[in-house]
Amino acid sequence: MVTPSAEETRPRTSRPGWRLVMLTGLFLIMFFLLFTRLWFIQVAAGKTYQTQASRQTVYQVSTQAPRGEIRDREGRLLATSRFVPAILVDRKQLPTDRVEDVQQQLSTMLDIPPDEIADAFETGGPRITIAEVDAETAYRVMERRRQLPGVVVELVPARVYPEGDVLAHVLGHIGRPSEEDVAERPDIDPNVIIGKAGVERTYDEFLQGDQGTVSYRINARNQVIRELRELPPTQGDTIYLTIDLEIQRELEEVLEGVIDLSNEVKATAEDEYFLHTTERAAGIVLDPKTGEVLAMASYPDFDPSVFVGGLSQNEFEGLNESQAFNNLVIQGEYAPASTFKAVGYVTALEEQMWPEDVTIPGPDGTVECDGRIEFPFGDGSQEVLYDWYYPDAYGSLDLHTSLARSCNIYFWKVALRIWRDYKGTERENLLQDWAREMGFGSTSGIDLPFEHDGLVPDRALFEDLAAEGVIRNTGWQGGDLMNMAVGQGFMLSTPLQLANAYASIVNGGVVWKPHVVQAIRDASGTEVLSNDAEVVRRLDIDPATVSMFRQDLTLIPSIGTARGAFADFGPGLEQVGGKTGTTKGTDTRDPTALFVGVAPVDDPRYVVVLVVEEGGNGGRVAAPGVRRILQSLVGNIPTELVPGEESD
Amino acid sequence: MATLARTQAVVVTDRRRPGPDLFLTAAMVALSGLGLLMVYTASRPLLTLQGDDPQGLVRRQLIFVGIGLVCFVVSSVIDYRLLKTLVPAGYIISVLALVAVLFTSPVNGARSWFQLGFVQIQPSEIGKVAIILTLAAVLAPAHTRGLSWRRLLLAVLLAAIPMALIFRQPDFGTMVVWGFITLIMLYAGGTSIRQFLLLTASAIAGGWALFQARVLADYQMTRLTSFLDPTADLQQAGWNRLQSELAIGSGELFGKGLFHGTQTELSYVPSQPTDFIFTAVGEQLGFVGAGLVLVLFLVIVWRLLVIAARARDAFGGLIAVGVAAFIVVHTFVNVGMTIGIMPVTGLPLPFMSYGGSFYVTTAIALGLAHSVWRRRTPVPGNRFLD
Repeated sequence: MVTPSAEETRPRTSRPGWRLVMLTGLFLIMFFLLFTRLWFIQVAAGKTYQTQASRQTVYQVSTQAPRGEIRDREGRLLATSRFVPAILVDRKQLPTDRVEDVQQQLSTMLDIPPDEIADAFETGGPRITIAEVDAETAYRVMERRRQLPGVVVELVPARVYPEGDVLAHVLGHIGRPSEEDVAERPDIDPNVIIGKAGVERTYDEFLQGDQGTVSYRINARNQVIRELRELPPTQGDTIYLTIDLEIQRELEEVLEGVIDLSNEVKATAEDEYFLHTTERAAGIVLDPKTGEVLAMASYPDFDPSVFVGGLSQNEFEGLNESQAFNNLVIQGEYAPASTFKAVGYVTALEEQMWPEDVTIPGPDGTVECDGRIEFPFGDGSQEVLYDWYYPDAYGSLDLHTSLARSCNIYFWKVALRIWRDYKGTERENLLQDWAREMGFGSTSGIDLPFEHDGLVPDRALFEDLAAEGVIRNTGWQGGDLMNMAVGQGFMLSTPLQLANAYASIVNGGVVWKPHVVQAIRDASGTEVLSNDAEVVRRLDIDPATVSMFRQDLTLIPSIGTARGAFADFGPGLEQVGGKTGTTKGTDTRDPTALFVGVAPVDDPRYVVVLVVEEGGNGGRVAAPGVRRILQSLVGNIPTELVPGEESD
Repeated sequence: MATLARTQAVVVTDRRRPGPDLFLTAAMVALSGLGLLMVYTASRPLLTLQGDDPQGLVRRQLIFVGIGLVCFVVSSVIDYRLLKTLVPAGYIISVLALVAVLFTSPVNGARSWFQLGFVQIQPSEIGKVAIILTLAAVLAPAHTRGLSWRRLLLAVLLAAIPMALIFRQPDFGTMVVWGFITLIMLYAGGTSIRQFLLLTASAIAGGWALFQARVLADYQMTRLTSFLDPTADLQQAGWNRLQSELAIGSGELFGKGLFHGTQTELSYVPSQPTDFIFTAVGEQLGFVGAGLVLVLFLVIVWRLLVIAARARDAFGGLIAVGVAAFIVVHTFVNVGMTIGIMPVTGLPLPFMSYGGSFYVTTAIALGLAHSVWRRRTPVPGNRFLD
């Protein structure tokens, strides 16, 4: 290992024996130190340690973490947390014989029924949050500290929604977990506040943050001697929505506007009879390039902060009755009416399903739109259907103008063609298949809870319903398919599905998964979740169909059924497309007004859907609302909401 | 000449193989036995709470002790002088193992372990034996001729390479152990005061540079600074120290009795069966028991120093010194940590802490020293350190 060198010949310079003695000395000193210290802590100071140890147990409580913030796509604040005083009871510090007394005092001071406080004691664990209070109450409780052993006033994080009721349905609200919530998420602390609806619910785990803990040294009688260590809670992550607060505000304003407009129309209508005043409306602005929801509103709404301090039974029932908690954009199911003609339009082109009496097979062939259609049934009987504009007549219309004028006869005949060619075969569901491809009849997968399915009727559904006794067993008939072709009958869609279906046609065939959350960042700004555009499905659709549909959509606001509503649109009207829709009224329900708007049609960036529940006519009530939203989206000055002309 | 003739006569007549060192062996067995008992008392409550076999941990330790004792006997029987030729190979294998371990996935933030099925091997433990042998081999020839700068720097370099690798793991505690062993062996190997001062100065400068460069991981910094000011940080590191000190202090003179350690029972003390095993002794058996443990260690160190003094050659003597340094530094840092005079570094207590690699390493090291004892020269006046 070592080669001999000059050192080999050098004389010994030191005596190793001496070195060993030195080492022995060093080691003895080290052991001496250990013995001395051991003697000190075990014998000299042992009693102190002994008493301290026997007195100690560690008592640990959790402190609530402030929920994460929610911001719009530009970073504007929509929900945050601030600290408010709260009254807590620390069971460790409350002698058992004083429990009842303290409960009573709290009940009087905080004006909470005694049994509610008793309930909280029952379920609250070692540290019970009784209520969040204002500063004045907090001071009153603090003044009486001596009479209230175990009662603590502490700052706890509370949810704040700086924009009030804006975007309420998307944001959702918070609350204590219900029994179902606990069953669903067994890991959550039942004392913690969780998201109950909207983004607050879907992204609860991100918003939660991490609870902190405080450890106390307590003696055998459970008195806190001192605080040992405190791990502060960490605030939850910040959520960035796809929502644009400015578009959202405009949309919400328009919703209230069209409800007023609808009621105005109802009040002044001379030749029509309406059953109800209009109360509900829903609207969405969707980006067809990504599936991002730019605005989503449902009316009536609520202020999510009412849930923060707890909601009285009456308040809750009042809001619940009016369906204020329902997000009609994803939960309201409406017959899409003539807006559904888009599906018939695409089916006709893609499957070459032209009316039997069309002049030339193809989009430019015409049929007579004279207001009524007669067709024989197999059993010899004959049915006559009247179009909505009867007794007027439009004369000869092709596919383009039928869409523009919303001619039912053309689309009935497309359905009739499918029925006659394919009845009873696999292809009898051509129309349904296209509808389902576009997202009708099933949830879109949007990142909001409680989305509804809608309904696409077919033979199988009718057989099921008949078996259950819901409908008479007449089977699935051609008339049912015809009804469906014009979006009536059993056909149901949520406003979101409608927007998403139009988006999928005008963007060239991509069905996106719509979403309201863009990204989530933690406290350090690191992105913890990124909701990139997600393709659910691609439609096998001819680009020629897409461009033809986009162009034909522009006919409606310019010369078609929404001509009146878009009259004062301003510059750029040629780039605006749309489709009106009006569901049939019944004995108990007024017609519901719908409108789908698309802009700019050359390269669509916005799909806007507005539904005014039992609001009357689509062209008259819904179209002006969409016109106003599109005006502000394309940078025109929004003009007043005035009724458009009557349409289908 | 007459003296020479007499001694030669002794050499000729006294050729029987010297027997085992009873003090050394007895102290080791006593500590191992007490260790098993303590591992059991310290691990039982938590294992019971978790619904596991309460004897699960002590059973494993029993196997480790068994393997360790066999290793002790085997290394006692092997002639340590034969190992001299194996030193370069042993050293290289150790360094390679320390390099290889850096490519494993980290456990608790450090890459110190090879996971081999049901056992974990810690190369920095086994390597301790290799570095003791290496330094002994390098420094031994200097004994008769004085230590040249060249040889000294070679020794320092040979020690520094594995230490740097251990630092990379990172395992600060083990690095300190290696450092201490190296220093003690350099001293015993004949480093002059001048050489020592220069080495120390450059070590301090190097350490300061490391400190400045923030090479220490955050948790290591916290542990170290928490030692300097225990009241500043009541979080984990300080908390461990406080609880451990409290447990030992509360044991008082005679202890609370076996299975009556409340602090231990309530899991106040962390890593109880491993790093903080001494608290179980202190709390349950009091100053008497804890003192006895220290005395047993002192017996081992005493015997090792005697072995060093009476070794047949410098190589053997330096092995004994290295093993003594190894036992002393582990005992001092570990016990010191539990009673609040050393920082929390996670060094186990020899023969008592739960853990296989460490037990076997200690047993082999002690066995080597024992081998030196069994081959000591029977000739008075021809000793290594006189």
